[in-house]
Amino acid sequence: MDLGQLEKALEQALSSVSDEAGLEGVRVEYLGRKGKLAEAMKTLANLPEAERKAMGLQANEVKTKMEAMFAAKQSAFETQKASKLAESEWIDVTLPGLALEEGHLHLTSQAIEEISDIFSRIGFSRVLAPDVDWDWYAFESLNIPADHPARDNWETFFIDQPAGKKGRVVLTPHTSNSQVRELEKGKLPIRMINIGRCYRRQSDVSHVPMFHQFEGFMVDKGLSVAHLKGVLDYFAQTFFGPTRKIRLRPHHFRFTEPSFEVDITCGVCNGTAMVGLDKCRLCKAGWLELGGAGMTHPNVLKAGGLDPNEYSAFAFGWGVERTLMMREGIKIADIRELYKNDLRFIQQF
Amino acid sequence: MANILASYDWIKEHLKTDASVAEFAKKMTDAGNSVEHIHDVAEAYNGIVVGRILVVDAHPNADKLRVVTVDVGKKVQIVCGGLNLEVDQLVCVALPGAKVRWHGEGELIELKEAELRGVQSFGMICAPDEVGFEKLQAGEKMIWDLTNVTDAKPGTPLVKALGLEDTLFDIEVTTNRPDAMSIVGQAREASACGLGKFEMRKSKFETSGKSEGKNGKMDLKVSVKDKDLCPRYQAVVIEGVKVAPSPWWMQKRLLLSGHRPINNVVDVTNYVLHELGQPLHAFDADTLEGQEIIVRKAKKGEKILALDGKEYELDASMLVIADAKKPVAVAGVMGGELTGTKEGTTRLVIESAVFDAVSVRRTARTLNLYSDSSSLFEKGLSPEATTGAIERAIELICELTGGHVASVIYDARAEKYKPEVYPYDAKRISDVIGLDVPEKKQKEILEALGFVIDGKKATVPYWRDHDIEDAIDLAEEVARVVGYANVPSVIPTGEIPVTLPDPKIVWERKLKNILKGAGVSEVYSNAFVSEAILGKYKIPLDAASKLENPLTDEWVYMRPTLVPSMLTVIEENQRRFEAAALFELNHVHHPRKGDIPSEDWRLLIAGYGPDGGAQAFRYVKGILERVLREAGVAAVSFESGGADDHFHPGRSAKVIAGKDMVGTIGELAPHYAQAFGIDRRVVLADLNLDHLLPHLGAGKRYQPTPEFQDLIRDLSFVLPERKTHAEVQAALVGVDPLISSVSLVDVYQGKGIEAGQKSMTYRLSLRASDRTLSSDEADAVMNSVGKMLTSDFGAILR
Repeated sequence: MDLGQLEKALEQALSSVSDEAGLEGVRVEYLGRKGKLAEAMKTLANLPEAERKAMGLQANEVKTKMEAMFAAKQSAFETQKASKLAESEWIDVTLPGLALEEGHLHLTSQAIEEISDIFSRIGFSRVLAPDVDWDWYAFESLNIPADHPARDNWETFFIDQPAGKKGRVVLTPHTSNSQVRELEKGKLPIRMINIGRCYRRQSDVSHVPMFHQFEGFMVDKGLSVAHLKGVLDYFAQTFFGPTRKIRLRPHHFRFTEPSFEVDITCGVCNGTAMVGLDKCRLCKAGWLELGGAGMTHPNVLKAGGLDPNEYSAFAFGWGVERTLMMREGIKIADIRELYKNDLRFIQQF
Repeated sequence: MANILASYDWIKEHLKTDASVAEFAKKMTDAGNSVEHIHDVAEAYNGIVVGRILVVDAHPNADKLRVVTVDVGKKVQIVCGGLNLEVDQLVCVALPGAKVRWHGEGELIELKEAELRGVQSFGMICAPDEVGFEKLQAGEKMIWDLTNVTDAKPGTPLVKALGLEDTLFDIEVTTNRPDAMSIVGQAREASACGLGKFEMRKSKFETSGKSEGKNGKMDLKVSVKDKDLCPRYQAVVIEGVKVAPSPWWMQKRLLLSGHRPINNVVDVTNYVLHELGQPLHAFDADTLEGQEIIVRKAKKGEKILALDGKEYELDASMLVIADAKKPVAVAGVMGGELTGTKEGTTRLVIESAVFDAVSVRRTARTLNLYSDSSSLFEKGLSPEATTGAIERAIELICELTGGHVASVIYDARAEKYKPEVYPYDAKRISDVIGLDVPEKKQKEILEALGFVIDGKKATVPYWRDHDIEDAIDLAEEVARVVGYANVPSVIPTGEIPVTLPDPKIVWERKLKNILKGAGVSEVYSNAFVSEAILGKYKIPLDAASKLENPLTDEWVYMRPTLVPSMLTVIEENQRRFEAAALFELNHVHHPRKGDIPSEDWRLLIAGYGPDGGAQAFRYVKGILERVLREAGVAAVSFESGGADDHFHPGRSAKVIAGKDMVGTIGELAPHYAQAFGIDRRVVLADLNLDHLLPHLGAGKRYQPTPEFQDLIRDLSFVLPERKTHAEVQAALVGVDPLISSVSLVDVYQGKGIEAGQKSMTYRLSLRASDRTLSSDEADAVMNSVGKMLTSDFGAILR
């Protein structure tokens, strides 16, 4: 059989093959070690020198073609086989995955982690301060005089025990008691963040008697409102996203001067105050209140043993729960649910 | 915090401005007078006009309705149920398309032509509360009679007829700024914000010391017994007063500002309060016994019937205004009903005084009696403000009531006024703001706010004498008016303090995340507990810090342990969830004598399972072991027994790390479960994190990965049930150094195993560090293991 015939014969044989066993038979018959192609190649050796060279080239071409023909058929068989696999080994992929035990961190913990991380990147380290503390740290040293309403029995919780040198024992209504405690450590400059429990004498759908605040406090030389603004902008854009804007609205707190409220553009109406044709129900004119901030009052620095002419400081204190809910757009109709520990609530986060 | 409703029209009496509403709102907000809402007054009155009643007919099908023909520029027929309809009366007519509030309740509703009991009605004749004047009372089923309010022609829009083209700003005012709780205060702020020129309008009546003395016909005795609580008391007598409703312009101003018009005397006091921020009170002079006013502390048990119609019992801490015999007002809070102005009153005593802020606040709080006056006084008012207010009141009362001044202006004051002066330093102000504000600009701002700058000194205007307390306050005044939007935003540079992270903070976070990874959910319980809860858990009351002023019985003590709150959580969730693993990581408080409570840092893991409890102990122990292993605690052991009586005596153990007891694990004793209403077995692991802290992370050591393969052999045997796993495991490990680890595969009791016995299966890993073990070597080791089990434990190999 000459080479051209051989090629045609293989084409024919392949076209009539119907299964893998048949394919293997064809392979042995034509391409095998003792197959027809090998036989034909052998005869070339007997040809005269001049003829042999030309025939050798032709033979190699034919060999390549035949191998390609075979590979194409083989691959067609494999594809066919794979398509059968889908049929023969089908499973219901919509069945749920095997249940692994799933734990959940409380929303408050999640917020605390995230807030600490954001501030640690600009050098603010988290510290701890008591949540049941002396009057001195919670009020007196913060320029809040004895007759201030916050120190009345109907605003703040007190512990039923005799007053000591630093006053009565109070359930801190804010995390700011950490300020003078930190100053007393005597290490400057200070960049701290205190995240802790606070207590206020109110309980309704928007207030819990126990909640969490984070307090930022920075003490150094030459600090100004511009620096405070820088830190607040950094936090707001990191936590809420770069499209949100903040504004400082003048306000009043005893332990800062100047003081302001920090507002952020509302995430629901994007600061437009309108949702479609209706007024946005979440915000006030496109803004949401985040919390308070200000330049630390000179009397606070003095209480902490610093000369306010030499050092300056700023502080901010925001509700952890509130800040988180504001970002997530979580609208909890009754904020007291946060601390009721219904697992149906906890397992959502 | 409080809000003021400020009419732009009224503000403009004191401010020359052509600023738009939007510009006014923005600039005021930026400077700290937050405009929270803007109401366009006229907007609500589209389609509401003045009408004249032409005919009032009976309704053919309804006794209580009338068919009225009204001239509203054209004749229309309206069905109306008002009881006071009269021909020629001017009324307020809402035409179809207008929005009204039916009977003053619910949402606004758009009017349509309607058929009422078979008669067509083309609109509605309104009562005041149906068109936004809820505080103007016309009486039940009475329509608003405009006959004496306007002389506008029928068909005139109500806005025009009643002068309602105005804008109301609802402005939040911070507690330190009672001066801004007034029209004048807002006008002054606006002027400082560059919105226009502020002009204090002069009263037509001006006192000049004692010159009014010659008018004095009534000799009133005024004395202040407690000048600390009443630094200034001014009073004047006005005679010839005719009490009547105020004219519409006055009523309108009050209504738009949120006050209820009462009569022309009381209205003036409210008007001046809103305009100037100084509360006033008017007494009926003829009801004051002994023609005397005494400002004194109340006597214990004294009572007063206040203007709200309720009787209040006073105590000796409260300041009152009294006549010769009885209290006639609770100072700064509320006047007495019996001595107030009413129809027929002809002589008045007008009071313009200042009372101590704290005293007013505490009195109002104790009596649970609040008023616009008390909310201003409790923020601290200046004794200098009373004169302007009494002058304005005299002017208005004389104008509205036909009365005239009949006494000197009495003026009892503690001391001569000395304005406060603070150092002024322009550079420091710029430094604090972080923006260079030229001195000229600073002065402009401060002077517009009323400060007097003289070189390096700033004199505080009297209306700010309570809130400006320090030189630094001047920086805030400049900063807020310059606007924080104009201050650059700068990330602070400078030294970053090097502080080692507090290990508590580090480990709190790690442990929480390990627990979460182990499938445990975190709870946050209230830090307070009730006496009942402490009782249920048998904690002596003196072991917990008690609140002096709890809000409710539920929250009275600071919890000294996390357990009771956790049990409450379990009780609430047990019927919703078959199984649960929970933790709380927090500190609890223990009372200390002469010190703040100590903080005890705890981790409590709790669990219950679907099988009702048999495996609960191992479930929670498994979590605990995993947590400790992952947290790198080496050498953890469990020592059975020794737990307190909160735990099941046979199912509890001490948790030991190294040689330290770090906590307890055990099943909650059944009678405590019962006390908390828990109907399944709950296992608790209660750890002291302060004790655990030195062990955390200490146990993670590098060990080379073994070079040669382990040989694994499983072994089952039956032995007496009281032989513990700990004993067996220790013995197995000790048999031969080739045994590299021993782990329990299964424990079984039940069918096929004799009572009192149990079957255990262990997996042993055998390894040598220098060669691959041969099967023969392993068999030899297993042989010794078998012998040891038989001789030391009486075990029968299976």
